[in-house]
Amino acid sequence: MVDLLPAWLADGLGDEALFWFGYLTDGRHLAWYSSVQFTLIAALLGGLCALGFGLLGAGMVGSRALPVRLFGKAYVNMVRGVPDVLFFLFFPLAFEQGVEWMASSVICSPEDIAANPGRWPPCPAANWILGTWEYLLLASVSLGIVYGAFTANVIHGALNAVPRGQIEAARAYGFSASQVFWRIRVRQMWIYALPGLSNVWLLLIKATALLSLLQIVDIVSWAGRLGAPNFTPSAGLVHPDWRWYYYLVLLLFYVLLTFLSEKGFAALTRWAGRGMAVAEARA
Amino acid sequence: MKTLLLSGLALAMLTVGASAQTVRLGTEGAYEPWNFMDANGQVAGLDIDVGNELCQRAGLTCEWVINDWDTIIPNLLAGNYDAILAGMSITEERQQSIDFTADYSPPDVSRYMVLTGTTIDFDSLQNVRIGVQSNTIQAGYAGDNLAQGNTIVSFEQAPQALADLSAGSIDVILADESYVTEIVANSSGGFELVGPEVEVGGGVGAGLRKSDTELKAKLDEALAAAKADGTIDSLIAKWFPQREGPFYLN
Amino acid sequence: MNLLDAIFADIALMARPALFNIYFAFAAIPLGFLFAVLLALGKASHNRLTSAFSRGYIYAFRGSPFFIQLFMIYSLVLSLNIPLWRPWGISWLMLSPLFLGPAILMLNTAAYTAEILYGALRTIPKGEVEAGRAFGMSRLQQFRFVTWPHMIRIAWPAYTNEVVFLFHATALVYFTLPVIDNQQDLMNKARELFERDYNVFLHFSVAAGYFLAISLVIFFIFRRIYRRLMAHLPAEPDRRIRYAPRWL
Repeated sequence: MVDLLPAWLADGLGDEALFWFGYLTDGRHLAWYSSVQFTLIAALLGGLCALGFGLLGAGMVGSRALPVRLFGKAYVNMVRGVPDVLFFLFFPLAFEQGVEWMASSVICSPEDIAANPGRWPPCPAANWILGTWEYLLLASVSLGIVYGAFTANVIHGALNAVPRGQIEAARAYGFSASQVFWRIRVRQMWIYALPGLSNVWLLLIKATALLSLLQIVDIVSWAGRLGAPNFTPSAGLVHPDWRWYYYLVLLLFYVLLTFLSEKGFAALTRWAGRGMAVAEARA
Repeated sequence: MKTLLLSGLALAMLTVGASAQTVRLGTEGAYEPWNFMDANGQVAGLDIDVGNELCQRAGLTCEWVINDWDTIIPNLLAGNYDAILAGMSITEERQQSIDFTADYSPPDVSRYMVLTGTTIDFDSLQNVRIGVQSNTIQAGYAGDNLAQGNTIVSFEQAPQALADLSAGSIDVILADESYVTEIVANSSGGFELVGPEVEVGGGVGAGLRKSDTELKAKLDEALAAAKADGTIDSLIAKWFPQREGPFYLN
Repeated sequence: MNLLDAIFADIALMARPALFNIYFAFAAIPLGFLFAVLLALGKASHNRLTSAFSRGYIYAFRGSPFFIQLFMIYSLVLSLNIPLWRPWGISWLMLSPLFLGPAILMLNTAAYTAEILYGALRTIPKGEVEAGRAFGMSRLQQFRFVTWPHMIRIAWPAYTNEVVFLFHATALVYFTLPVIDNQQDLMNKARELFERDYNVFLHFSVAAGYFLAISLVIFFIFRRIYRRLMAHLPAEPDRRIRYAPRWL
């Protein structure tokens, strides 16, 4: 990367600055910077999934059918008792085994299974290979399930915060039940839901730090590798333990992400609240 | 959920189909100079050179997968890659769950490394904080033979143990001689080797699933040829200037 | 071995690891709470420096993942061993996961708890404080007899949730700190058992069961305390503690 600097700048910087510039832009550091993509993709995909699961969960909690309501309540309350990291590790593994089990019932012949007693998957052909992208997708879905439960709480509360008068007015106009739900309640609830959704989003982006537990070489994994002491010249600059500098950078990165998200949600709230008399909903 | 499962299934079939041509090699990428991330952000090291050499000779297309050390055997068995080349010693315990090719690096003893000037009484060996990488032969040895009266501190990656040794939070590291010797040589006197050599484990080989006999035969054939013409010797010499050959040439 | 035996075997294996999670959480709670009270008062303080420090601290710890805080503080403490801890003779303490784990948890929970308490602090009616002053109370007395009782009652439900979250956060400690001898926590043990037989449903469910059970015990105890706190007030129709995630 040093070669890319214009000559006047390279001369002006001096040898030491150039050395550090070169170090911070070597292939390993560039790989570190580009691994931010995994964090951002997981956050965005996870956020979308959470919104989907949240709407679904809120719909179930508010359902009139008892079994659906119970299932919804069980889902929404799941996060009360189980740490997100446990579910985050459990879901991708369980999903993988589920897929392999289904695949094995289609592909594996009884002889294959007999030849592989006590092994998983039952036959080699049913093996589902998970690479970085598959894990990333599964990680996003499990983030979506965990934070979808929080989202469901928020949306359920917001749906109930829509003034009754508006719903009654809609009914009086002859809206059907589903029309009342979609055109009045769901349309109106966003302004009440936004503060809560903002908080779920802030929790979710912090949970993306866990991606390295699923063998994704993400920013956390790279920070550990880059900062670890190195005494082998062929492996790059020889240096003592620098990990805490690298983790400090990550910490600041996440604080910045939080800050930008808050600003974004504030703007969104202003936009969603235009023309609505809901000052109290923003408190 | 059902459509999700089915699309997952379709995806699975695709990857199963694709994997027929490519052999996936798993490594840790945090154990210089065996395997590590080089300045270009790519995996490099003896394991990588040997793996690429064998794949080339056997006419296989190979790609590298990075996986944490402590789950490297489970994820081989789970099929996320087809072979482990990660400086892994061939041991009887590991051979119960996986198969190995012949060794591509001869048997290596384990050594104790300390900050220069630390004295440890190896006759009694009491009240010492011993750092090991978890799930290694040294961790097994320390747990079986040194746990009485000492503290065993396990780290997920070898460089973490190194950091703790430098900072004095552990007294000594027990690790492969090949690994610690390179560190001692490059530490400008910061570390030294002390105490007895510990004999654990065999040579380093590529770990394979027991069912993959075909791949094992291919790799073993390629390895025998690479040993015979001196390629493996020159690769070991390239990455381990401190080790004395010849290794496989007579 | 049938399923029930397997479950009981797992429950027995994880009993000792569960104690580590309980220890981590409960060692962090008292000091974390004390520190949080100071931070909350600091944030509400008129002294600019105190207020800025408290705000910055709370924002940084709430705005970054606990997982990274663990990594960062461990490597920072480690690098201070030779210049500080060694000469002071406290290496054995500072570098022990049994001290460092709760210490980092404490720093983290203090920020979240402080935000809860600060929110509660702002709801205190000005008139009550003024009445206290009119009675001739000192500032300490005002805090002790007016601000504190009000704040703690408002904050208690949210604090309950924070304690449960803190307990869940203990699952991350041994993902980052070195493991000494055979000191394992629930997650560590569940992963180790999983790597032996790949039965993800069994081992993770039993670990989840432990977390769930202990969380329910925390809710139960904190609800009892809440009833006590509110005993003198007229009964309200709904005084249950509602679960909400880590925010106000």
